[in-house]
Amino acid sequence: MEIRICHLYPDILNLYGDRGNVTCLKKRLEWRGISCSVDEVSVGDSLQASKYDLFFIGGGQDFEQGVLLDDLKGQKTAEIKAAIEDGAPFLAICGGYQILGNYYRTWDGQQCDFIGAIDVDTIGQKERMIGNYMFTCDDLGGEAVVGFENHSGRTYLGSGVKPIGKVLSGHGNNGEDGFEGARYKNVFATYSHGCLLPKNPKVADLLLTWAIRRKNPSFELPPLDDALENNAHEYMQKRLSKVES
Amino acid sequence: MNLRTSFAILMCKWCRALLRKLGRGGTDFPGKVALKICPDILGRVAKNVKVVIVTGTNGKTTTSRMVEQAMRDNGLSFFCNKSGANLLSGVTAEFAVNSSTWSGTCKYPYALIESDEAAFKAISKYVDAKVVVVTNLFRDQLDRYGEVSHTLENIKIGISHLPQATLCLNADDSLVASIAQDAPNQVLYFGVNTPIYKERVKEVSDAPYCVRCKHRYVYDYVTYGHLGGYRCPNCGYHRPTPQVAVTEVISSDAEQSVVNIAVDGKEYRAVINLPGGYNIYNACSCAAAGKAMGLDMPTVIESLSTFECGFGRMEKFPIGKTSVRMILVKNPAGCNQVLNFLSNASGPVLFTVCLNDRDADGTDVSWIWDVDFEKLCDMGDLLTAIYVSGVRADDMALRFKYAGIPLEKIHVEKDYGKLMDEVTDQEAPVYIMPTYTAMLDLRDKISKKYGFEEFWEK
Repeated sequence: MEIRICHLYPDILNLYGDRGNVTCLKKRLEWRGISCSVDEVSVGDSLQASKYDLFFIGGGQDFEQGVLLDDLKGQKTAEIKAAIEDGAPFLAICGGYQILGNYYRTWDGQQCDFIGAIDVDTIGQKERMIGNYMFTCDDLGGEAVVGFENHSGRTYLGSGVKPIGKVLSGHGNNGEDGFEGARYKNVFATYSHGCLLPKNPKVADLLLTWAIRRKNPSFELPPLDDALENNAHEYMQKRLSKVES
Repeated sequence: MNLRTSFAILMCKWCRALLRKLGRGGTDFPGKVALKICPDILGRVAKNVKVVIVTGTNGKTTTSRMVEQAMRDNGLSFFCNKSGANLLSGVTAEFAVNSSTWSGTCKYPYALIESDEAAFKAISKYVDAKVVVVTNLFRDQLDRYGEVSHTLENIKIGISHLPQATLCLNADDSLVASIAQDAPNQVLYFGVNTPIYKERVKEVSDAPYCVRCKHRYVYDYVTYGHLGGYRCPNCGYHRPTPQVAVTEVISSDAEQSVVNIAVDGKEYRAVINLPGGYNIYNACSCAAAGKAMGLDMPTVIESLSTFECGFGRMEKFPIGKTSVRMILVKNPAGCNQVLNFLSNASGPVLFTVCLNDRDADGTDVSWIWDVDFEKLCDMGDLLTAIYVSGVRADDMALRFKYAGIPLEKIHVEKDYGKLMDEVTDQEAPVYIMPTYTAMLDLRDKISKKYGFEEFWEK
């Protein structure tokens, strides 16, 4: 068995170390003896989404976003939407999360349309929401996820899209409704940098399980020694719990 | 004489003297006091002082120390800011303490100021800079500075306050070189005409798309990061020909680099007193600043072999059976350059990272995942061990695990005292990469434990 990961726009959406998520997924497969390939698909490349088992899209600088949107709205939009409807796991972070949604409206009313693969809208604000934060993950029975958020967009979920969980510390989607992230089919969209997956290994394994079960529905991932991962997780969980209490 | 100015200067001097009596190296607070008393104090005390400003993301401090040596060797009477006092308050304090309390005028005709890139637009309103050096622009502490195009805009605004200044711009940095387009200033480009490393780390480019038309650049060569010989196939924007250029890298080892620098077509052999390709750029920008100031060029080149940097820039501490070198890191670009240098080591090396996430470090540690620590795996047995420390030591340990470093080589030691005991209880040279506040804590520990002098005594 080989798991094929598609890393979308790695050369443009490459802020805040989000590519560490791809490293993490790859290593956690290799350590279990499962082979893994990563294809980088960027501007000008044609996307054949059915080739892949798992997708990753990160956040980037505003400057290059124009270059990207023209390209994304071509052939890639239909491919991405079809893959999502088909149940392909999709990890989207920050800018990548917003891009999967319907649009981004700036605080002074200018609207930038995105691909509408998931029903979420983002409204820009002058003030950024920055800092370490923590939220629950419903798919993990309410376990805590730790990360770092840095966004001025406030994201609101439409019908049919659920949040990942509740904000325990920090702002989350919009700093108002107390929720973080978006879940639709096997899309896992979040504002969390940090990098997210290495210090939340259960989230990494959740995504891998979704990817593998599309091929082998009864597959169970063998456990790994996550001592270092758990140290990093627990350090931040404790630190943020102190802040809140 | 102006009473308010005098009072501000007096209070600034008192505060600084008091802080030092208390054993603190406070660099910003005295300036804040002065600014509170007299908000335009900097403009008053900096009047008639000819100022050289060094700004940009990486290499500000090292470049400033090089220029300092060159100015001193050329016999100029000047003062400079040190110890990272590079915000408006720190710069104000330096000017104030170097001014006469009663007349309110500066005691020196020249000043050399290292300026934080975000603070530059405020500082440049008040000082009459004759020369501005922009070293480079990389992504840095995104939680504080925002994205790199934002920093570029801030520097452009700062320069608009200084139309008379000669700009020394890095020709190899497409972002920095673009500053010349809208500025009426006289411009002097510096750059490196040749690749520096045989093998480089894998890096993310911070500026892959044309700053003017957003098409992808084509590169004839890359020195590191997004620096090199770029050109845009769409609009024709390209690397300008530098008037001050490194034409050949003759040798580069763990102690120094030897290069040829051409200034107006005349070649000089320069021995640069610090290792690493990024210091070749710093030396080149120093030569450009020297030319812009009209200094004697052979003297400037000579200064590059004698200057001392210290304060966490390849600073060396002989301890026990080994020597410890401290290299401040703060962003992926700088960290990758240290790895470029380290991974080419010819003997065994012990490597340490101290990662903090306080405000001055950048509160977001995500950037460690943009650094190609995987490159360290190529060192094999030459890498004897990796120690991680600092507030976010656990994140750093995790980064090394996923970089593929064998787990038995990764040691977590959060206590600096124990850390120093362990890393100096062996003979391989120790390279410590701390973030800013980790460096302050670590230097404090080292100076107390082994008797090295405090930085503000220098």
